[in-house]
Amino acid sequence: MTDELSVVGKRMKRTDSLAKVTGEALYTADLKLPRMLHAKVLRSPHAHARILNIDAGKALRLPGVKAVVTAADGHGINWGVFKYTQDHPMMAIDRVRYIGEDVAGVAAVDEETALEALDLIEVDYEPLPAVFDPFEAMKEGAPLIHEQYARNINVHVHIDVGDIEEGFAKAYLVKEDTFDAAGEAYSTLEPYAVVAHYHSGYLDLWMPNASAHVRAKALSNLLKLPLNKVRVRHINVGGHFGSRSEVSPGDFVTALLSMKTGRPVKLLLTREENATCTRQVHAINATIKTGVNRDGTITAKQFKVIYDGGAYSSTGPIATSIPYYVYEEAYRLPNVRYDGYRVITNKGIRGMYGCHGRAFLAGNEMQMDTIARELGMDPMEIRLKNGLTAGEQTATGSVIRSGGLEEPIRRAAEKSGWKDIKEDRSLGKGKGMGCIAIMCGFPMGFRSGSACYVKVNDDGQVTVVTGVIDTGMGNESMVIQIAAEVLGVPVEDVNLVNADSEVTNLDPGAYSQAAAFVGANAVKRACEDAKSKILAFAADKLKHPAEDLDLKDRMVVSKTDPAKSVPMRFIVREAFFKGTPITGTGAFMPDIDFQREWVKNPYGQMAGTFSYGCSVAEVCVDRETGQIAVPRFTAAHDCGTPINPMAVEGQIEGSIHQAGMAVLMEETRWSDGHLLNPDLLEYKVPLACDMPHIETVIVCSNDPEGPFGAKEGGLTARMNSYSAVTCAVQSALGVPLTHLPLTPDRLLKAIGAGKTGGEK
Amino acid sequence: MEKIRITVTVNGDRVETDVAPSQTLLEMLRDTLELTGAKEGCGLGACGACTVLLDGKPTRSCIVLAAEVDGAEVVTVEGLAQGEHLHPLQESFMEKGAVQCGFCTPGMIVTAKGLLDRNKNPSKEQIITSMSSNLCRCTGYKKIIEAVEATASSRE
Repeated sequence: MTDELSVVGKRMKRTDSLAKVTGEALYTADLKLPRMLHAKVLRSPHAHARILNIDAGKALRLPGVKAVVTAADGHGINWGVFKYTQDHPMMAIDRVRYIGEDVAGVAAVDEETALEALDLIEVDYEPLPAVFDPFEAMKEGAPLIHEQYARNINVHVHIDVGDIEEGFAKAYLVKEDTFDAAGEAYSTLEPYAVVAHYHSGYLDLWMPNASAHVRAKALSNLLKLPLNKVRVRHINVGGHFGSRSEVSPGDFVTALLSMKTGRPVKLLLTREENATCTRQVHAINATIKTGVNRDGTITAKQFKVIYDGGAYSSTGPIATSIPYYVYEEAYRLPNVRYDGYRVITNKGIRGMYGCHGRAFLAGNEMQMDTIARELGMDPMEIRLKNGLTAGEQTATGSVIRSGGLEEPIRRAAEKSGWKDIKEDRSLGKGKGMGCIAIMCGFPMGFRSGSACYVKVNDDGQVTVVTGVIDTGMGNESMVIQIAAEVLGVPVEDVNLVNADSEVTNLDPGAYSQAAAFVGANAVKRACEDAKSKILAFAADKLKHPAEDLDLKDRMVVSKTDPAKSVPMRFIVREAFFKGTPITGTGAFMPDIDFQREWVKNPYGQMAGTFSYGCSVAEVCVDRETGQIAVPRFTAAHDCGTPINPMAVEGQIEGSIHQAGMAVLMEETRWSDGHLLNPDLLEYKVPLACDMPHIETVIVCSNDPEGPFGAKEGGLTARMNSYSAVTCAVQSALGVPLTHLPLTPDRLLKAIGAGKTGGEK
Repeated sequence: MEKIRITVTVNGDRVETDVAPSQTLLEMLRDTLELTGAKEGCGLGACGACTVLLDGKPTRSCIVLAAEVDGAEVVTVEGLAQGEHLHPLQESFMEKGAVQCGFCTPGMIVTAKGLLDRNKNPSKEQIITSMSSNLCRCTGYKKIIEAVEATASSRE
């Protein structure tokens, strides 16, 4: 289909890249406003304590200090994504629940003065018993971190489909294993930063975010300001991956400081604060029980998953559900029971990463390989046998509208030469396959949809106004390509106004993989609306039926008569004359079952469509040192249609780094509520020299509803490249791997355990 | 604290400025000279987002004191283009899709320039080794390496 297209489907330079290569692109920390003050935050040194008193008198007397704020300057409102998870005051009111929690904020003429002032704020704490391990936290008598969460269980998601007892009873083989995985750090290169400017009753804000609208709404509630007075502005975002999804304490503190001083205020978090005091990734413990027939068909699945949630709910119910959903979107599960528990502990708040739940998937996929081996099946065959196909329904009732697992598996197998990759345990050589599906947008009420406005200017150039945000993946360039395609203009004729909560209409933002399927769909419809108006005017002028007219190369042209054409800008100017300028509006609401609710009713259509992917890893393990090398990696991803194939490849390649290589080294380490590796020296992020040779395959299932057939572009690899590597290492060693990530110490332990009773 | 007067050449311009003894080169560039292309990612020399050329050598400006660069020549990402003409590395990063969120990009391009200035024809392995001094969280590095390789080979 892309053959007929001039812009969509072409490899092109991303429109945002020019400002980024010259250093002109501005990020929040780069902003400088007249009379701007600098903020620092006083943070809790206790994992759990009551606040008895805060005295900021000495700090306020320090020359250069302009304001100190505490929770008393707010309205005592707790934030939460759902009514039943509103537990986070954004600045501690009378109790701190983790080391690093925001207690007070200072605005001063420079950062040094603000830092000096922090030492002068006197806080009386009464330390309380703390609990750091979710299993300890769930015991009777454990310190209760929030009164409303008995046994510190924040969220329990229970899903029950079919009859698992019957499913296990009739199974030929049943396996049960428990896996655990450490938490991780997003390690966005940009540390968190906020600029707030309160003036004339309006609050303007800049911060790395994943949806201007979601951020503005939360701050409007917390600050008791009307929503139209809170304006989150466009700014470049230095990486997101789930970490910038929701409102952050820094937003609240900086806004209060600006409101108190009437001056712009900038807060920059250090790398260490970013790791300690913004959301990071859940550690999990998953018990997975699987029953299969003799031919490998899954008969039943049962899951019990414990998520270490840290001190507050965050995106709790969603984070407790998504790992299961992406699994059921990939595989046919006739009987399934899932119990997910998110447990509150006295640690920093945990969030969702690169969709969410890759370690849970790794457990499932490694267990599937063990089952396949016992049944004498190839890991690819058992995945093909159980993989969902288009037209089928997931266990909880989502219809798969395009794609399915088969083609990504076959394409990844073909590209990698799966059948011919030699496994040799004596040499520590193994191969592994990981599969997954990803929802393109998940239910967020009326914010699940997107709306776009477009105007065609008197020179024939186009301005597109959309809430779509680009946190690095190329969404801005993507919607510009779509507008250029529909309106028959080169991309340089399209100006984009986006990610601004005042100017743009609602959009789900960049954290449910919705931008291509939902946001770009609204852009396409708005441009089609404008196009139909242009063609109607042109039909009148050219005395030619509108149905035979099209837009191409800035011209209105006949599809059949080359003599009939007129520059588009002439038509646009006539429209101005007639008092009906060319504008277009378009909206897209995915077909989601809005009766479904994450906890109360977890059944029904989850998303408008799903992407599918398969990764293949080849590894070489040194049994003496526990070091793993990954010489070659192949990933196939079904993105429906690639709007810009180069950008989709980039997403897949980045995903392999962020998951496939992360599983070798990345973990947050803790001691009594202290994060031990908050910086980038102790927390190891893979480097160029750690990367394998990468092959990417773009699968085009051409979604019936996606814009030009598109779905999300590359997130499957951010989940399944993790499991592909764990499966490959398991195949190379022949021992069960139950503790992740696969650091050399864990691997050597697994090898040692294997020698004394593991798989022979 | 008493300030120290330094003279430094930044992107070809001679600059006289007063710096605090504790001020880093990165702070001087970003706060005083308003050259915000170099970024602070970690503040301890681990990530490379703050890389500039100091007398031609790729240097972590977050762990160099401004007072140390008196008399030196500094080139930041803003100094690479010649008027409207981008540096070939900048063109190549765009062309190859080596830019995603862009936060590491200035440091990556400056690091690559340092490499190509001292080795006009580096092997792929040499490029990978040199570029492994900088972190990127978005791209998986593949297209960054390709962009540097393409620039090197086009100069042969």
